[in-house]
Amino acid sequence: MKITDILTEQFIKTGLPGATKEDVLNALIDLAATSDKVQDKEKIREAIFEREKIMSTGVGSGFAIPHGKTDAVTDIVGALAVTAQPIDYKSLDEQPVRIVFLLIGRDSMVGPHIKLLSRISRLMNKEEFRSRLLGARSPSEVLDILRQEEATYLEA
Amino acid sequence: MIGIEYILLAGSVLILISTAIGKLSDNLGVPTLVLFLVVGMLAGSEGPGGIQFDDPGLASSIGIVALVFILFGGGLDTKWQDVRRVLAPAAGLSTFGVLVTALAVGGFAHYFLEVPIEYGILLGSIISSTDAAAVFAVLRSKNVSLKGRLKPLLELESGSNDPTAVFLTVGLLAIIRTPETTLVNLLSLFVVQMGLGGVLGYFMGRAMVVLLNRLRFSYEGIYPVFALAFACLIYASTAVLGGSGFLAVYIAGIVLGNSTFVQRKSLFRFFDGLAWLSQIGMFLALGLQVFPSRLVPVMTIGLLVSGFLMFVARPLSVFITLAPTTFDWREKLFISWVGLRGSVPIILATFPLLAGIPRADLLFNLVFFIVLTSALLQGWSIPLVARLLGLAAPLERKKSHPLEFEPVVGSDTELVDLTVPYHSDVVGRSIVELGLPSNSLIVLIGRGDQYLVPSGGSVLEAGDTILILVNKADLPQVREILSRRKAPDD
Repeated sequence: MKITDILTEQFIKTGLPGATKEDVLNALIDLAATSDKVQDKEKIREAIFEREKIMSTGVGSGFAIPHGKTDAVTDIVGALAVTAQPIDYKSLDEQPVRIVFLLIGRDSMVGPHIKLLSRISRLMNKEEFRSRLLGARSPSEVLDILRQEEATYLEA
Repeated sequence: MIGIEYILLAGSVLILISTAIGKLSDNLGVPTLVLFLVVGMLAGSEGPGGIQFDDPGLASSIGIVALVFILFGGGLDTKWQDVRRVLAPAAGLSTFGVLVTALAVGGFAHYFLEVPIEYGILLGSIISSTDAAAVFAVLRSKNVSLKGRLKPLLELESGSNDPTAVFLTVGLLAIIRTPETTLVNLLSLFVVQMGLGGVLGYFMGRAMVVLLNRLRFSYEGIYPVFALAFACLIYASTAVLGGSGFLAVYIAGIVLGNSTFVQRKSLFRFFDGLAWLSQIGMFLALGLQVFPSRLVPVMTIGLLVSGFLMFVARPLSVFITLAPTTFDWREKLFISWVGLRGSVPIILATFPLLAGIPRADLLFNLVFFIVLTSALLQGWSIPLVARLLGLAAPLERKKSHPLEFEPVVGSDTELVDLTVPYHSDVVGRSIVELGLPSNSLIVLIGRGDQYLVPSGGSVLEAGDTILILVNKADLPQVREILSRRKAPDD
């Protein structure tokens, strides 16, 4: 499964407002909840914040990948945002976060969930890719950058 | 006196027919309860079965016992996590909402059908509660999946509104028979009934959990027997003490269903079977008690009241009660439509028969007719209405994947997915070097598009997703290991 299989412009935001980690997470959850695969937004919120308690999903270099599994979605749902300002995300490397990818999986579908998580975190570990994302001015630009990157990633 | 072998023969044949006919419900889209009722009616003295059964007292007793098990089973199946968020609206619907329905129907019967006002409200009270068995059956069937809070709300409402209807019916009968009964008397009685029912149900539910876990029965088969007797004890003792036994068993069921205890799976199975038997037995008995020819004279008035209930009284009650909530008009409309009437009204309709008030049999037939129309029309059309209002969620797709897991009940081990931070000290180290807690295990490593089955020598990379089986108590230690930063000169 590709990232761009689950991500359309509808679920991408550039210049996402918000000053705290909570603001950004809530905004992303609201964005993801516009999907018809989402049956219960509050359950998702619970799962995401619950997972965040176990260990911060700020994996470093200004990127965070909040995720959770719940039975409140019928299929994997994702949302991606570039924030308007740097966010203190309690990341391990203490760097503020600008790029946040939210991934919500189904309880019973662990396999695809883990594959997508690994794929996303692998892509985001590239400095050059992150800076292109930060420079994107619209959701459609973000999507183009993602498509290109996934294409080259597949060839590699 | 008929020999027991004949009673058993008739009973077993009827139940077997009912179990077989349950399959039809999937194909025809008719709620199962209607089919069971029809079997009962056909078996009765006016049908080909020719069984003589006219004993409202027995029918009522069967109904009450059956309802105890249905409510207890319904409670067991109710996930507290789901219902917690709909507690306030559900409580509103099952108390105030029920009252509005009863009064609206009473007013309609009085002003348009020239029924004495107290009889009108008695009729309204009898048909004021939605049916847990019917609603559970429709909502849990394979062809409806609802968005958001609707399902828990409707289930909680239907499970908890029967006590109010029972109370209103008993109260109205008291007023009709002893006119000096005052509203204040009734109101305080209501508070006592609900309060006592709620409190006793909660604590006896807790007690049941503790006892199940402490008492070590030598035979596994004893557990269901114990649970069965305890459920009856909860109903009966609460009722004897003046509380609502129905509310108590429902709440005790919820408490039990959301706790960890031994023999959980087998008890769930047992009560599931028992709830089915109760439903079949109850509807058969109620179907036998009704005489189809006596339904004909009440058809016109029955259709009028039934139509008023479905299209005016229930929506009115839902829209008033849920006005302060965030449910939108479509959701309210849908909630209004899932006002299925079922066994409780029929059981309650035997109360006036037993109380011996005038024209009670007319009332019984009328109620029976109303339940039939509601179950048929609403029960059949709910999936359609959900789709029309845009409230149906896509049906869950069942896929199979290399990994599926469920949380293990009663174990404090969890399977957690963690991402290896880009600058973590563990990057470039092998798993044996990490010093993970002794009883934790990395089950799988996700790297890019690959799954790696780890061995002790596997080296972690930045951005790896690890699926780790870990004791809850050890989670902080695992987090600490993964969060250690690589020294700048490393």
